[in-house]
Amino acid sequence: MSPAVWAYSENEGVSNEVASAAVEVAEGASAEAVVVEIGALREGARSPGAKLLLKGPASPQVSPEVAAEALARAAKQAAPMAILIGATRNGREAASRLAAKLSVGCLSDGSKLGTDGSTLTAERNVFAGKVVAKLSCPLPAVATVKVGHYARADAAPGETREVDVGPIQPLVRVVGREKKAAGAVDLRSAKVIVSAGRGVKKKEDLPLLEELAKDMHGALGCSRPLSSDLGWLPEEYHIGLTGVTVRPDLYLAVGISGQLQHIAGIKDSKIVAAINTDKDAPIFQASDYGVVGDLYQLVPALRKALAARR
Amino acid sequence: MAALDFGYLTVYLLSLASVVFAGLMVVRRSKATSVSIGPRRLLGLAKDETRRLMSGDPVFLMHLSIALGIGVTIANAVMDPGMGYLYPLKVLFLVVSVPLTAGLIASFVWRVQVYSRSKKEERKLGASGKFTSASTFLQVVLMLAIGLTTSELVLLWFPSMVYADLLLGALRNSLVAVYYSRPSVNLVGGFDRPLSALKTPFNLADVMSGKTDASQISVGVSKVSEFDRSQRLTFDSCVEIGACEAACPATAAGRPLSPRVLVRKVSLLARGPDAGASPFSAVGEDELWSCTSCGACMASCPVSVKHLDIIYELRRDLVTKGKVDKEKAALLENLAQSQNPYGLKNASRADWAREVGVGTLASEPGAEYLYWVGCISSFDQRAQRIARALSKILRQAGVSFAILGGEEMCVGDPARRLGEEGRYQELALQNIEKLNSYGVRKIIATCPHCYNTLKNEYPQFGGNYDVVYHTQLISDLIREGKVKVPPEKVQSISVTLHDACYASRYNSVFDEPREILGATVSDVREMGRRKEKTFCCGAGGSNYWYKVPQQKSIAGIRAEEASETGAKTVATECPFCLSMLDDATKVAETGMDVRDVAEIVADCIS
Amino acid sequence: MKIAVCVKHAVDEAELKTDPSGRPVLAGAVSRMSAFDKNAVEEGLRLRAAHQGEVVVFTVGPADSKKTMKEALAMGADRGVLVVADTAAIDTMRTAGLLAAAIRRAGPFDLVLCSEGSSDTYSGQVPPMLGELLGAAFVGYARKFEVSGQLVRVERSLEDSVERVEAPLPLVASVVSEINEPRYPTLIQIMQAGKKPLEELSGDQLLPHGEYREASVVSMSVQQSARKRVLIEGSPDEAAAKLLDALTKEGVLAK
Repeated sequence: MSPAVWAYSENEGVSNEVASAAVEVAEGASAEAVVVEIGALREGARSPGAKLLLKGPASPQVSPEVAAEALARAAKQAAPMAILIGATRNGREAASRLAAKLSVGCLSDGSKLGTDGSTLTAERNVFAGKVVAKLSCPLPAVATVKVGHYARADAAPGETREVDVGPIQPLVRVVGREKKAAGAVDLRSAKVIVSAGRGVKKKEDLPLLEELAKDMHGALGCSRPLSSDLGWLPEEYHIGLTGVTVRPDLYLAVGISGQLQHIAGIKDSKIVAAINTDKDAPIFQASDYGVVGDLYQLVPALRKALAARR
Repeated sequence: MAALDFGYLTVYLLSLASVVFAGLMVVRRSKATSVSIGPRRLLGLAKDETRRLMSGDPVFLMHLSIALGIGVTIANAVMDPGMGYLYPLKVLFLVVSVPLTAGLIASFVWRVQVYSRSKKEERKLGASGKFTSASTFLQVVLMLAIGLTTSELVLLWFPSMVYADLLLGALRNSLVAVYYSRPSVNLVGGFDRPLSALKTPFNLADVMSGKTDASQISVGVSKVSEFDRSQRLTFDSCVEIGACEAACPATAAGRPLSPRVLVRKVSLLARGPDAGASPFSAVGEDELWSCTSCGACMASCPVSVKHLDIIYELRRDLVTKGKVDKEKAALLENLAQSQNPYGLKNASRADWAREVGVGTLASEPGAEYLYWVGCISSFDQRAQRIARALSKILRQAGVSFAILGGEEMCVGDPARRLGEEGRYQELALQNIEKLNSYGVRKIIATCPHCYNTLKNEYPQFGGNYDVVYHTQLISDLIREGKVKVPPEKVQSISVTLHDACYASRYNSVFDEPREILGATVSDVREMGRRKEKTFCCGAGGSNYWYKVPQQKSIAGIRAEEASETGAKTVATECPFCLSMLDDATKVAETGMDVRDVAEIVADCIS
Repeated sequence: MKIAVCVKHAVDEAELKTDPSGRPVLAGAVSRMSAFDKNAVEEGLRLRAAHQGEVVVFTVGPADSKKTMKEALAMGADRGVLVVADTAAIDTMRTAGLLAAAIRRAGPFDLVLCSEGSSDTYSGQVPPMLGELLGAAFVGYARKFEVSGQLVRVERSLEDSVERVEAPLPLVASVVSEINEPRYPTLIQIMQAGKKPLEELSGDQLLPHGEYREASVVSMSVQQSARKRVLIEGSPDEAAAKLLDALTKEGVLAK
C-alpha cells in the first residue's frame, strides 16, 4: 500500500478544498490522497481522491472530540504520512487533539502545503498577517489547511473503503446549535466588512451596502457619524477607536472620509479598500486600493460584477 | 430715637447677637477647615470678585447684590442706636438700598426660575424624593434670605418699623450663620485655586525609587469618609445656587449629569449616618463619565465649589476597580503600549514633519523653541494641517524651532483626566526626562491640553519650561511685524471664534486669538458664550475617546451657536475642538468651514 | 473552584521591526500579554467571583514573561507559575506539554482557561492539546459559561452558529474575545502585583526534550509594512472589475 495523505473537514465545502490540498501534497510525495468521511458518506461530497469511511459514529455530524478520536484510531492502523484538516474552528480543535493523541507535530492554517523528504512544509501568515512564515514538521504530521486558499474541485467519487473504528463516548455533549442571526455577526471576527460613512446620503440607502456586504459574505459596519450622531445604525455597527476595533481580511470603506479615530480602529485589517468621491480624503492614504467615484454608481457595479463571477 | 427702652434694647441685642453668631460660625468653620481668613485673603477675594463682575456675569451681579444687601443691613442694624449721629451714613444706606433692592428682586425672580429648572433636571435624572426635598429646602432658605434682606432694605425707609427691621435681620443673620458660613469660608479659601489643580495621590518617581511603598498607595475614593477635609468643605458648601447646572455642557446635552445634583448627592451622603457608604450608592458611572472637565461648573460657582474634585476621585476609583468599558480600556492600553491614544506606531509621529522639512531636536539641538505637536496633530491628517500651518508661520517669522518627533509621547492628559494617575505620571516622567536631556527651555503648543499640562502640571514633577500657546506667539509675531499680513491678503470672510476651554477658561488665553483674527479676516463675529465663559466642544476630560448616553451632542449645540452668528467659518484654536466641530457642522449640514486660527494666518502670508 | 489560566507573553506585531533582508527582528522585540489572553484572565476572575476559589496564571516563555505575569496578577489573579523556556525553539505540542506538566504540578484544577489563540501566531492549538494531555474534557471557542455542580454548560461561538454543549469538570476551555471586556490594571496595581507569589520553573527540567516530534519555523519574511495606496480608475463598471480582480489576487474575497 502506498503512503497516504488524508483530508478531512466536518464542513462539506471545506472538505472539498482540503481534498485539493491533499491531492497536491500527495502528488509531490508520490502518495495517495484519501478523503476521510466519518459516520456516513455525505451526499454532495464530489471531491477528488479515494474515500475512507470511518464507521462507528452514527452520522457525519460529529464533534471535534469524536472526529479526533475516530481519526486517531484509524490513523494508528493505517499510518498515513499526513493528515490535513480544514482550519475551521472545529477543524482546528480536531487537528490539535489528533496531534496530541498521535504525539506528532501540527502545522496550522497552512497554505502552499508540500513535503520535503521527511517533513511536511507549509506557509502561513503570522503577526496579524504582517509576516509570512515557512514551517516544517517531521512526518507523520497533522496540519490544518487555510480555508478559502485551495480551489474546490468537482470530481466523480472514487473508490470507497470502510474501516470500523468502534463506538466513541465523548466527554462533551452537544445539546443544540443555532445559526447566528444575520444582524448579529460579530464584526470583530468578520472576514469581510463593508462599512458605510457619511457619503451615504440617507438612511434609506443603507440596504444598498447591506446587500453588497451579503454578496461578499461579509458584515456591515459604519463610521461614527452614522451611528452616534445620525443614529441610522445601532452602536454595535460603529467601527473605530470609540466603537469596535476590527481586523478583517478585507475592509471596504464606502463613503468614509477617514478620520484617524476610524482608521486606527481598522489598522489591523489585512487589506483596506475605499470608495470615496473626494480624492483628497484621508482614507485613501490608509487604503491598499482606492476608487475615486460615486458610491451610488460603484456599489451597484460591484454587485453586478460579483454576481457575474459567481 | 426713643430713650432707653426695654423692648428696643431686647430687639437690638437680639439683632447684635445674631451678627455675632454669624461671625462666630464663620470663625468656627474656618478653624475646623484650616482656612485662614486674613485681610490679605479678603483683599484678594475682593479683587477676584471685581474681576468676575467686570466680565458682566449676571450671576455675579446678583451675588453681589445679595452680599452687599446683607452687609448694608447688618451695618445699619449694628449702628442703629447711633444713627441719630450718623445721619450721612443713613442717607448713604438709603441711596445704596435702591439699586440693591432692584438687584435683590432680580435675584429672587432668578431664583424662582432656577427652582423650576432644577426640579426639571431632577426629574430628568430621576433624583429621589428625599434628594428633591433636601434640594428644595436649601433653595427655599436662599429665597427666604433674599426675601428677608429685600424687606429689610425696604424697611430702611420706614424708621417707625425699626423693630420689624431688626427682627427680620436677626432671623436672616441666623440663616446666614447656619447655612452660609461654610460657603463663605470655602469661597475665601478656594477662590484662587486654579481650575487645573488636581490632587496628586502619589508620586510615581518615589514609588519607583522605593521611597514610597506601592502597597501602601490607595487611589481614588471608595467610601465617602475618604474625601479629605478640603474636599468635604467644598462640596458641603453647595447651597443650590445652580449656576453650575446652567453652565454645564453635559447637562445641556441631556447626559445623566448635573454638577449641582452630583455635589449635593455626595454631600448628603457624606453627612448621612454611614461614613463607610460608597459614593456609588448615590452616583452613577455614566454620571462621572459625562463630564468633559471643561470647568464651567467651577468657574461659574459663586462660592467656589470644586465639582471636579469629586469627579476625578470617583473616576480614579472606577479605574482602580477596573470599571472602564472597552473604549476607555483601549485608550489606556494604547497609552501604555504605544504612548499615544491611537495605538499607532509612535515612531511615525514625525512623518508629516519630514514631508515639510521640519527637523527634530536630535538633528537640530540648538533650536530656540520646541514645538510640542501633540498626538492628534502628529497622526491625524486633518489636524496635521495645523502643525504645517504653524511651521509655515514660524519659518516666515524666522523663529528657530524643532520637534521631538518619535521621541514625543502623549503628554498624559487623557490618562489623568480619565483617572489613571499612574499612567499619566509615567508619561510625564518620561517626557520630562527627554525634555530635560535636550535642555529645552521654551515650548510652543497647538493643543491646549498639552499646553495646560506642560505649563501647569509638569512643574510638580520636575519639568519647568516657558510654555507659550501658539495663539500667544503668533499674535506677538504679528504685533512685532515679524509675521506680515499685507492688506490685500486679509481674507474677506466672516469668522466666529470658538474658545477652547483649556486655553480660555483654564489659562485665560482669549484676547490673543481675537487679535490674530482682527489682523487676518474682515469680519469677526462673537458667540454669546465666549472667552472664559466658552461652551465646550465635548471632547475634553477624555470624552473624545469614549461615548456617553446623551440626548443631543455637545458639539452639535456649539455648532448651532456658531451657525447662529451667521459666520461662514468657525475658527478654532484646539485640534480636538476642530475635529468635534468639523463633524458636528457636517452632521448639521451648516455648510460652515472649520479651521484653526493658525491655518487662517498661514493662508494670509506668502 | 480552582481555576488555571494560561497566558502568553507574545511579540507585539505593531512594534515588530524588519531587518535589511526582510526578516522580522524577534530578538528583543517588544512583547506583552497576548490581547485575547486578557479575556481568559478576566473570565477566570469572574468565575472566581461567582464560585469562590483561586485563579492561578501559567505561562511558558522567556524570563521576560514576568511582565505579562505581573499584569495578569494585577488584574486580580492570586498567584503565577512561569515556566522559563525558549519559545522561539518550541512548538505548540511542547508548549502544551510544558503547560500540562506545570498545571499538574500545581493542581488539581477544576477549570483551565486559555484564549482562542495568541495574538502573534494565532494557531489555537495549545488549548485542545492541553485538554488531551491533561485527560480532561475540552471545549473550544466558549463565549459563555454556566457552572452548576460538576457540570458546565457552555455556549460555543463557531463561524456562523452558536453551539450549546455540556461538559464535566475538570474542563479545559478556550474563550473567544466576545465573552467579556477584560479589566485594565492600573500602573500602580501592576507595581503592587510585584508582591504576589510568582513561581519560576525551568522548562528543560520540567519536561525532557524529544517527547514530541516538534514542528519548527524554517524562515520568516515580512510581507508589507505600509498600505499599497493603489488608485483604481475607469468607468464604474471598469473600476469595479479592477477592484474585484485586485481583491481576488490578494485572496481576501470570501468564497
